Amino acid sequence: MKGKTVKICITSTGTSLDSNVDPRFGRCPYFIIYDTDTDTFEAINNASRQAMGGAGIQAGQLIASKNVSAVITGNFGPNAFRVLQTAGIKTYSRVSGTVKDAIEKYRNSQLTETSAPDVTSHYGVGRSN
Amino acid sequence: MVKQITIISGKGGTGKTTIASSFIKMAHDHIAVDADVDAANLHILLNLTTIKKEDLIGGAVAVVNQTCINCGKCEELCRFDAISGSTSDIKIDTLKCEGCGVCQYICPAGAIELKKDKQGEFYTSDTQFCKLIHARLNPAAENSGLLVTMVRSIAEDIAYAENKKLIIIDGAPGIGCPVIASLNGVDFALIVTEPTLSGISDFKKIYKVAGFFNIKTFVCINKHDINDKNTEAIEKFCASNNIQVIGKIAYDENVPKVLAAKNYIIDYTDSPAAKDIIQLYFRLEKFLYE
Amino acid sequence: MIISVASGKGGTGKTTVAVSFALAARYCQFIDYDVEAPNADIFLKPDIKNIKKVSIKQPYFLTDTGNDFSKCAEFCHYNAIAVIGSEVIFYPELCHGCGGCLLVGPEGAVREKDVVVGEVAKGFTTPGIDFLKGNLIPGSMRTTTLQNELEKMLNKSGLVIIDAPPGNSCSMVMSVKNSDYCILVTEPTPYGFNDLLISMEVLEGLKVPYGVIINRDGVGDSAIEDYCTERNIRVHLKIPNDIEIAKIYSQGGTLLDYDSSYGEKFGIILKVIERISIGEADNHN
Repeated sequence: MKGKTVKICITSTGTSLDSNVDPRFGRCPYFIIYDTDTDTFEAINNASRQAMGGAGIQAGQLIASKNVSAVITGNFGPNAFRVLQTAGIKTYSRVSGTVKDAIEKYRNSQLTETSAPDVTSHYGVGRSN
Repeated sequence: MVKQITIISGKGGTGKTTIASSFIKMAHDHIAVDADVDAANLHILLNLTTIKKEDLIGGAVAVVNQTCINCGKCEELCRFDAISGSTSDIKIDTLKCEGCGVCQYICPAGAIELKKDKQGEFYTSDTQFCKLIHARLNPAAENSGLLVTMVRSIAEDIAYAENKKLIIIDGAPGIGCPVIASLNGVDFALIVTEPTLSGISDFKKIYKVAGFFNIKTFVCINKHDINDKNTEAIEKFCASNNIQVIGKIAYDENVPKVLAAKNYIIDYTDSPAAKDIIQLYFRLEKFLYE
Repeated sequence: MIISVASGKGGTGKTTVAVSFALAARYCQFIDYDVEAPNADIFLKPDIKNIKKVSIKQPYFLTDTGNDFSKCAEFCHYNAIAVIGSEVIFYPELCHGCGGCLLVGPEGAVREKDVVVGEVAKGFTTPGIDFLKGNLIPGSMRTTTLQNELEKMLNKSGLVIIDAPPGNSCSMVMSVKNSDYCILVTEPTPYGFNDLLISMEVLEGLKVPYGVIINRDGVGDSAIEDYCTERNIRVHLKIPNDIEIAKIYSQGGTLLDYDSSYGEKFGIILKVIERISIGEADNHN
């Protein structure tokens, strides 16, 4: 049993570590949940992609329930950002390239934490990145 | 990063699609989206080869089965006036039902289910200029907002995969759900208005909606010369609200004539509207590919 | 008798036509169902006597009661509620006001308040037009809430003219479904034609009889007219393309201001529609 969470979440265009980081949080095709301790991962299909509205809110709650300590993506919309902040999950945005590279950067502390949503809309309606 | 611009108007028929199709012809490294899903017109001028077709499943609505015991609880709690005759011969108006699930939850007989149906189709097509993501909503279907969201998602997928720089979105008239879905998260909005009292009234509303999103907004006054006084009023409003009027397009009877022949107005370079649209595009281009 | 005026494509002249009908009829109820962009009042200039706010109920959560609200988040079909531990985040823009969270949540800990989404305005235009419009607040998506409110105020005993929103989806259907007859206004361009065909399909599905008015006649081609002739669809009127009409319209003037004989023309169409609806005339050319 480990005392602290070592899992991180990366938004991804595909199901492998060679996939690219998807720039969207709420409507990315997949989430890669990576365990930095055991170097294992699972790819989760993002069902929120089909949501009429509030995709980021739904996705945020899903990720919060996965007990991850950080989320890495391109952009956070304001709704998703609020959910993740409330859940105490660290947020890293403006990340591109492969999922593998993103994990490396995270390990080497090369990513800077995001302090505000990237998309300034205050609508969750219809879309939420 | 791929930039996105949505063309909107509030009032219908101010020239959104004419401007969008001109931009599509002039732009580069781009993808086009027709977000006016219940009256889509962008595909008419473009030569299409559809490469992918998908179903839109959405808009859950309540469906009642024969185990209904006519207790009337559902009708009492439905906030959308969608249920009638619940103590004798229950009817659910699928047009009014918003799929909230309250009736399903409260039904003691388990007689109500939420069902999702096919609401339309969306397509990825090749055109002579760029890929076009468009859709067809089933006549009378709901959820054009969801369909707008879906076509935009596909356009974004392709833009990321193919390293495109720009997504041009032709929006719907009005200020409601589909319009809001077409504005969320974009970089720029171009409001196409006309110097009529109706045009101005609707322009002020759509400007307010765009304002909620904090999007960089530009205004274009189409048929500016049919009423100089109203054009001035729009310009004055824009100046005091710090919005840039980035173009004015002359009233030009060639526009519908050229359209009827399924040609592009911007190919008729002597026509006044063509000159104005081309100039409008080049003024915008500086921002679009920044 | 309820007559609605619709068009798939926006800006083809729905309001111009609907207003002409009302002025020709003199005595009628006129309802502007285009709650996202209502403009008929610009032309009918009604004396608004009564404005009623329209609101929906939205929840708030008494989180200091220490209750668990996670059932509310699970239930909400619109993702308007997020529950993280003891915190509740509510997103009003996503809430439809269904009241589901109140039902499933801890008793007494979910309350509701009224949130205004728009207004319904009532007034009169001399001599006898009873005017009604819905007006959605910019930013709200409760188009159908306002249209529902208008529907309750329909006066079915007399003539009703409905000015519908553009498009062919939900809000258009809400506006035309109760009508005895629908006038589809179109323009002779490929865009107008394409959207007209979809509108016809909608009306056939609803079993609402319809006829066509072609506006800006002369700008494009005869494809629509040929189509209507071929299918035996009645074309009630062709309004010529004239920049004078556009100029008068831009200042809030009507077709009758352009040419007073339109009063008589629309009066005749009203009579024709009446005869069609009581079965005295066929609905074709």
